[in-house]
Amino acid sequence: MSEPVIGFAGLTHLGLVSAAAAAARGFDVIAFDPDRARVASIARGELPVVEPDLPQRLDKHRDRLTCTADVAALARCDVVYVAPDVPTDEASASDLAPVRTLFEMVAGAVASEAVLVVLSQVPPGFTRSLPGPAERRFYQVETLIFGRAVDRALHPERFILGCAEPSLPLPPSLATYLGAFGCPVLPMRYESAELAKISINVCLVASVSAANILAEVCERVGADWSEIVPALRLDRRIGPAAYLAPGLGIAGGNLERDLATVCRLAEQHGTEAAVVRAWLADSEYRRDWALRQIHARVLTRVADPTLAVLGLAYKENTASTKNSASLALLAALAPFRVRVYDPSVAPRPEFHPQLAAAATPLEACAGGDALIVMTPWDEFRALRADAIAARLRGRTVIDPYRVLDAAACLAAGLDLVVLGAPAREAPP
Amino acid sequence: MSPAGMGLRHHGPEPIDPVRVVVLGGRGFVGSELLAAMKHAGIATLAPPRLELDLTAADASDRLAGILRPTDSLVLLAAVTPDKGRGVGPFMANLTIGAAVARALERVTPAHVVYFSSDAVYPMSAGLVSEASGAQPSDLYGMMHLARETMLTTASRAPVAVLRPTLLYGAGDTHNSYGPNRLRRVAHKEGRIALFGEGEEVRDHLFVDDIVGLTLLALRLRSSGLLNLATGRSISYAELARKIAAQFERPIEIVGTPRQTPVTHRHFDVTALHKAFPAFRFTPIDEGLARAHCEMIGGA
Repeated sequence: MSEPVIGFAGLTHLGLVSAAAAAARGFDVIAFDPDRARVASIARGELPVVEPDLPQRLDKHRDRLTCTADVAALARCDVVYVAPDVPTDEASASDLAPVRTLFEMVAGAVASEAVLVVLSQVPPGFTRSLPGPAERRFYQVETLIFGRAVDRALHPERFILGCAEPSLPLPPSLATYLGAFGCPVLPMRYESAELAKISINVCLVASVSAANILAEVCERVGADWSEIVPALRLDRRIGPAAYLAPGLGIAGGNLERDLATVCRLAEQHGTEAAVVRAWLADSEYRRDWALRQIHARVLTRVADPTLAVLGLAYKENTASTKNSASLALLAALAPFRVRVYDPSVAPRPEFHPQLAAAATPLEACAGGDALIVMTPWDEFRALRADAIAARLRGRTVIDPYRVLDAAACLAAGLDLVVLGAPAREAPP
Repeated sequence: MSPAGMGLRHHGPEPIDPVRVVVLGGRGFVGSELLAAMKHAGIATLAPPRLELDLTAADASDRLAGILRPTDSLVLLAAVTPDKGRGVGPFMANLTIGAAVARALERVTPAHVVYFSSDAVYPMSAGLVSEASGAQPSDLYGMMHLARETMLTTASRAPVAVLRPTLLYGAGDTHNSYGPNRLRRVAHKEGRIALFGEGEEVRDHLFVDDIVGLTLLALRLRSSGLLNLATGRSISYAELARKIAAQFERPIEIVGTPRQTPVTHRHFDVTALHKAFPAFRFTPIDEGLARAHCEMIGGA
């Protein structure tokens, strides 16, 4: 068959990145969103998300990529992915109404032989519950990682595909499209694929939770987690790419959503999930690590401190602040003056009552009694320790992700507090 | 419940002195220190002595309801403490006290209620203790506090702050449990400190001035919810003994004894306290021990 035309419905993070990857792989792409204003913004190059390489990819392949708010345009497509980001509430429960509504809208517009694929993150049972012919309805696991989404969409490790009947061959249009990426395709029943997505995230949380627990032990017993990690990576049962970097709790929304889904399924079906609830509680404890360090090392010594905070986003290379440890920290520091810088998130008054926005990282440091690096942006890695020391009033640097050069910090007279190793004081 | 769902919520945007604070149990270690601090701050107080208000008497709830005003803040400290026994008798007496206060609160709604519970509601196997830790008392004293917490929070229509302090110390402590006060007194009297085992157990010790300071903050902000009162820094009894011995001019001998019970440890995660009272600073234990020592020597 000729190259299939691929459609994407829902142009938020997942849909936009996936559409860019499809176009980059040489397919004609129809990218649809019912929100005319959003489509117009995208057409002007104003994207609703911050994602490295995404603007360049969209621009480079614009001759193959049509953005539209007209659902009828999807009639040209052989395969249409329904890919809106699924919103979650404060309890991390998914609101599935928008993805269902969009699926029904798309199903009413596509050609009768077109294949529909749900790409949004949905719980087990959702895809089977959708209307229309099951033999042309699929669910595909997305493995989007904020900040690395384009690369992962272009070079997936595998495709996990939920099917009504996994033993049947895939429709040629879908097989052609997936085959262009040159990775394994794993067909399975809908519910297995939907749970596979959750399983991936649960395994990641298990790994990073173990890292967090042991990193804290390192801080107390004189060990250094960064020395242990290489040994773990060489263990085949753990692996070179295992999630072993300690952090400030689970954030961003997706992992929390999957853990909440497992808890809900366990409650509904009577299975045991106490460990998952413990991970969630542990995540909240980790989120406040920097607050505990500030109380122990700064607030006990300085009466009316000014704190310099670098980073507001929940991780680097994104503007998302969902469950951001930095915002949680600011909320707990209300009585104190705070100077803040983030490369992509503009400080807002609701973050903190005494917040001063800085134009540069070093400007944020000026007059601070302590520096706290809350997001591991690459921009911060380039900061010179002596320049920081020259601007800070105090000596304490709290750098959970070890963004700064530790030896240079100590040489510059800064006391350094990191995740996974005992705090170190600069030599007198 | 997750840790984020625990802790205190303040009902006043700014700290305001309560109109009047009725203290039940005002003659005890914490009560007397709290009353003195409120008097010093110019806050009106009422601490009915037992002769006027016997909380174990049949008419206790009537009498308390007659005293309470809608503008009052009520602090319940009254309890038969473990040093007077941990059996069924004290347990039932404490429940009687709690029931009397709860019945009074059903009739009169004050502006605010502060209940002093205890970290005895947590089992020693709780690990790092936070407000999210499961309250599973291992004795009747802890069970009593947990029951009284429920009595008061159920009965009261006013905001209720449940405070669960850990081990307290200060010169005025009349209890003689294994902790700074007993070690100091024994050292003063006998010139030696005998530890259980080698003093391996770690505990968190809270200076009485800090518990008073935190209670005043809760009263001024009309806080409600649950909060553990601890410093977040635990030390071993061996280290505690060395710190206490160092306060004396003469040498104090520290000796171990054959261990009778397994070693247990207690650490607190005080993140919720930091969030409730961000600017509060604990008295460093060296300073607290020195002050308690000076007060004891001065009063000896």
